[in-house]
Amino acid sequence: MIIATERAKRPDQFTVAPENPQEGECPFCEGRETHTPAEIFSIRKSGQRNSPGWQVRVVPSIAPFLRIEGDLDRRAHGLYDVMNGIGAHEVVIETPQHIANIADLPAEQISQVISTYIERINDLEKDSRFKYVLAFKNHGWSAGGGRVRHSRSQLIATPVTPKRVKEELIGAKKYYEYHERCIFCDIIRQEIEDKERLILEIDGFIAIAPFASRFPFEVWILPKKHSSDFVNCCEAEFKNNLAKVIKIVLAKLKKALNDPPYNYIIHTAPFRREKAGYWKTISQDYHWHIEIMPRLTRVAGFEWGSGFYICPLPPETAAKFLRETEA
Amino acid sequence: MGELRRDPIIGRWVIIDTEHPAGPNDFEKEAHTFRGGDCPFCYGNEQITPPEIEVIRDSGTEPNKPGWHVRVVANKFPALQIEGELERRGIGLYDVTNGIGAHEVILQTPYHQKELSDLEEEEVENVLKMYCRRALDLRKDTRFKYILIFKNYGPSAGASLEHPHTQLIALPMIPKSVHEELEGALNYFEYRERCIFCDIIRQELQEKERVIFENKFFIAFCPYVSRSPFEIWIIPKAHQEAFCQLSYEQTQELAKILKKTLQRVKDVLFNPAYNFIIHTSPINTEKKEGYHWHIEIMPKLMRVAGFEWGTGFYMVPTSPEAAAKYLKQ
Repeated sequence: MIIATERAKRPDQFTVAPENPQEGECPFCEGRETHTPAEIFSIRKSGQRNSPGWQVRVVPSIAPFLRIEGDLDRRAHGLYDVMNGIGAHEVVIETPQHIANIADLPAEQISQVISTYIERINDLEKDSRFKYVLAFKNHGWSAGGGRVRHSRSQLIATPVTPKRVKEELIGAKKYYEYHERCIFCDIIRQEIEDKERLILEIDGFIAIAPFASRFPFEVWILPKKHSSDFVNCCEAEFKNNLAKVIKIVLAKLKKALNDPPYNYIIHTAPFRREKAGYWKTISQDYHWHIEIMPRLTRVAGFEWGSGFYICPLPPETAAKFLRETEA
Repeated sequence: MGELRRDPIIGRWVIIDTEHPAGPNDFEKEAHTFRGGDCPFCYGNEQITPPEIEVIRDSGTEPNKPGWHVRVVANKFPALQIEGELERRGIGLYDVTNGIGAHEVILQTPYHQKELSDLEEEEVENVLKMYCRRALDLRKDTRFKYILIFKNYGPSAGASLEHPHTQLIALPMIPKSVHEELEGALNYFEYRERCIFCDIIRQELQEKERVIFENKFFIAFCPYVSRSPFEIWIIPKAHQEAFCQLSYEQTQELAKILKKTLQRVKDVLFNPAYNFIIHTSPINTEKKEGYHWHIEIMPKLMRVAGFEWGTGFYMVPTSPEAAAKYLKQ
């Protein structure tokens, strides 16, 4: 990564104009349950399936890239590898109310969203065809979000481990083999000591602007206590604390950058399925975390061609700015 | 149903919608209106830019004056700087080096509104020759390990300037995605003693489905494992490691196929924003077997979500087979 310290812009230069919401009849609001595919899962206070009374609701995507039915059928096509597009693509509706940004939900509600992710990931793990579940959010139009401004995230279960996740796993494994320590635990230690890139440290979590940020105002949230799998954070208190941290960080970004479009992705260990090349130290060497990427700059040919990112704002400046922004 | 396809070079999986491929009309269009105004790269404004590093100009005309055809200047806002010693150091567990490198702007033409596809073939040839000349000159500086030549066209592809231009960045290290490609090609070569790109070309010419154009020295095709809809590669048919090894005849043929391909992209996809990148071998470093230079063209038709960037997993709504069909027509 290249951090352009010389031509750094001031944070307010990235401020993004709010996008035009196209309000219509929102299919994700309470009372309109029949406008979505039948629900897969819900946390509800009252009511039957597919009726009002829910707090968080999971439905299949109406435009899935992957389908749940069928066999993987892995085969060769000349020198290429191909398999059927088997997978699951689900939408997590995070609130019954028409609220656009998860940062505006109460922490208790975000905690329910976390519980929902865990429930769904655990359920999808039972399907032996799947190796990984990606939980992510596209907020705002230029981050890939939809026209309907109702807070939601997506889950995609895939029969393969995504490349960047795999690279991260391998990197962490190599570090562990050499040092017998988790690299993320070492990063956490160094960031707490350096303080420069630390945005906050509360209740067992830290939020940092990573040293090699790819995007301005990139933020990572990491649990201080070592844990490889996101689904392990099942204690109520831990979930509530995580919800609080997510809310504070996203509220800071919203305030500092005028509700920017952003993506977040939960990075967690893949399902443990015995196969060639499988290693048994994942629980020790990997450390789950959340990566948040505000979409403030455009990715151009240079980044495409090199895998190098020109980040026009040093993470130290971003962290300082976010520390000083009151959520 | 969609398909999961794996890149044979670096092992990346993508999801491709083969069932209901999105056509050119299914993407949002970005209007290209020229803002106009004073452009530092237009004829007559030569003195506003940093002095020219290299130029193709009419004989008898003075440097930094009108009379040029292709002109190279330093980037006024470089991501990297040319002066200084390369210094690598550690900060705790992180690695840092100072931002040494060269960042140049290649002005393809004095005409503000003439993109590569609008130029005459000989003019495109001149642009390509200039790419080669700059690459050959910069490789003399042993601090540099890689020269990246790329083009951003249109604001959503990251272009901040309107005037037709290409950028060149010389880097003190081999960038990650190039390194992955080199390693992938090397692994294949060690195992089979053949170049993977040559094998890809052979398969593509046999199947024909994804080939858009073919001439004496080059093919343009939509790769089987495309990362974005309507992605196109232009590759020399005969094995060649580095872009700057282009022969005179090859340059002529490349100018033809590049112009034709970009013209087709413009016509079929409604003048979209795009990036193209020349993938070539590294310099001043140990030679790696089995690399084969090529140009990757990536029309910017979608709002690439952070999801793709964060995971390296791409969801492509148009299969390369469908894309090639649209582009051939």
